[in-house]
Amino acid sequence: MQSQSLLKRSWDIRKEKIQYGWAAAKRMKICYLFLAPYAILFTTFFILPIVTSIYYGFTYYNILEPARFIGFQNYINLVLQDEVFLTAVKNTFVIAVITGPIGYILSFLFAWFINELPRWLRTIAVVVFYAPSLGSGAFYIFTIIFQGDAYGYLNSILLQFGLIDAPLLWLLDPKYILPIVIIVSLWMSMGAGFLSFVAGLQGVDRSMYEAGYVDGIRNRWQELYFITLPSMKPMLLFGAVMSITSAFNVCDVPRALAGYPSTDYAARTIVTHLFDYGFSRFEMGYASAIATVLFLIMILSNKIIQSALRRVGT
Amino acid sequence: MSQKKQKITRIEQPKTQSRAERLHYLAQLRGEIEEEQPKLNKGKFAIISLIILALLAGILLYSNYMLGAIETANIEGRTTSRTMMIMLGKDTGVVLGGSSDVNEEELAKVNAWSSIFLVVRLAAIVGLVIYGFYAIITLLQPKRRKPNRSFWGDLGIYTMLFIIAVAMAFPLVFSIAQSLKPLDELFRFPPKVLPDHPTLDNFSDLIVTMGQSWVPFSRYLINTVLITALGTFGHVIIASMAAFVLAKYRFPGAKTFFSIVVTALMFSGYVTGIPNYVIMSKLGMIDTYWAIILPAFAAPIGLFLMKQFMESLPDALIEAAHLDGAGEGRIFWTIVMPNVKPAWLTITIFSVQGLWNNSASTVIYTESKKTLVYALAQIQAGGVARAGQAAVASVVVMVVPIIIFICSQGQIMETMASSGLKD
Repeated sequence: MQSQSLLKRSWDIRKEKIQYGWAAAKRMKICYLFLAPYAILFTTFFILPIVTSIYYGFTYYNILEPARFIGFQNYINLVLQDEVFLTAVKNTFVIAVITGPIGYILSFLFAWFINELPRWLRTIAVVVFYAPSLGSGAFYIFTIIFQGDAYGYLNSILLQFGLIDAPLLWLLDPKYILPIVIIVSLWMSMGAGFLSFVAGLQGVDRSMYEAGYVDGIRNRWQELYFITLPSMKPMLLFGAVMSITSAFNVCDVPRALAGYPSTDYAARTIVTHLFDYGFSRFEMGYASAIATVLFLIMILSNKIIQSALRRVGT
Repeated sequence: MSQKKQKITRIEQPKTQSRAERLHYLAQLRGEIEEEQPKLNKGKFAIISLIILALLAGILLYSNYMLGAIETANIEGRTTSRTMMIMLGKDTGVVLGGSSDVNEEELAKVNAWSSIFLVVRLAAIVGLVIYGFYAIITLLQPKRRKPNRSFWGDLGIYTMLFIIAVAMAFPLVFSIAQSLKPLDELFRFPPKVLPDHPTLDNFSDLIVTMGQSWVPFSRYLINTVLITALGTFGHVIIASMAAFVLAKYRFPGAKTFFSIVVTALMFSGYVTGIPNYVIMSKLGMIDTYWAIILPAFAAPIGLFLMKQFMESLPDALIEAAHLDGAGEGRIFWTIVMPNVKPAWLTITIFSVQGLWNNSASTVIYTESKKTLVYALAQIQAGGVARAGQAAVASVVVMVVPIIIFICSQGQIMETMASSGLKD
């Protein structure tokens, strides 16, 4: 009796809430009107693809024939049969684990270092550090620096100093491809997160530093840890999202530098693997499964890093 | 807050300064007390450092010159007499050539001199770099030093920053230099970074090559400009409209929607590329510009930055307009949009960056609809014969977004200040 009335009451409350929400929604009609164009496009090109890629991940689909449901077969094949995929996962993780954190820390450190420069010098520094990720066509130049014959810059310098006696095939030798991809990705890692850091550092309240100084903060590193980092937390979270995205989506750099496919799949990443199956072989089902895996990895690492960053300075 | 305070008090008080001294220093910093420390006379310091630097440079040049002279002397000595004498044996007494009077003793002397000059040259270089930095940093010091900054820390950090900045800029400078090199300098060994005889031939060659191609070059350029302009314009309008209501009104679903957008910051075009292709092919957009433009309209980063920036607009502004009887549309166009100019410049640069560099090779198949980046990639694939043109192509692609960024830099930084992700 009691429980039933309780149930009824909770139902009533819920109904009331929905009614209230509906009324609010009706009153705010104009808001939905404003939101509609963005929401429709966003749903079509960002939400729907995720949903469809989860769906197609369970099917065999090659665009010409209708999709055929095959259960977990794609995922089983990925892990058990596709050795190249395992190489791709390994490479992606090596690249992400190195370029993600290092790029993130470096972009914060550089933003912090240039923070106290005079305004005009800081502007120049921002342009210099941010330019590589802006002009993404620029990494083409690395194909000349790492060229495999004696005209390549690195080779010619090493030859002149007598460190090597024959030019090395930097971009064709599986030993060197991955480190080169990592270096170039690091070079390009000062992205939107870096800008956010530079701007955020300018906004930190100066009286906090003075208060910290009176309270006994002795050097710049203590100041960084106790005052700067805690007040930069929102920017740090934003920067983390940006660097996870760029760390896991390495695709253009290995394709441009090491060729596609690269020697021994040494520069194969999850994204290039996805492209291979999606746009060269048109196995959309299989490619969707790869996309789903990549997406899950990214969401998961984002959750972990966000919860770790929330603890900074507290 | 209380936690934070506890931690800070846990740091030991420094031994060198008492709290009173620190407060005194702070008062000095704020200008409440007259300064006691003698101020550095910057003009004098600059002149003295210039003289020192000039001296160091002189030493460097002199030792360099002497080293060169010794080397040529050595080579001459070796070719004409020394090598011969060693080959023939010294006690034969055969006199060869004019400079046979070079003897072992003299050679040892010359070698000793050359090693001294080597050391001097190295010392001069090191001195130039270190003293140069010392002088620059001393001159850049603000009149009142900030607390908690040591001079040597500044020196170390800025030296490192300079070296890394040079390393970061090198590939960019190099690619511009590469595009200015004539053909013979592109393939010289050992290669040089800067061209000896800069020319614009590569640019004109590129135009000639492009003119001969089946689809005229201007077509690619127009395609890309069209896509970039249209996509960016639509993106700014649509994203600002959505950001406006998300930032300034409360309605059911707004928070959920925004948190989905924040998650979507991670969806790069790559992850969604395959399903997007399928969706576009169902919508019949493959091989039309809509396939590039429409997704660009909905880029999550634009909405995110716009919304964060609009939150800093005072609510009173909008309320006042409401009281005056303005509708949402009018408020948006006449009050909000003019006030968030920095934000639109910022999302413009992000949008341009994405669209300008978009080769769209997966969704566009007709040759006459292809983009500039695609066409330039074809030239870069042309190999040795097109090396110079390829360099020009990469410069063209690279320079446009960088110039836009430089022009709107101030506003972008203003927007990015509100880019933080709140809990």
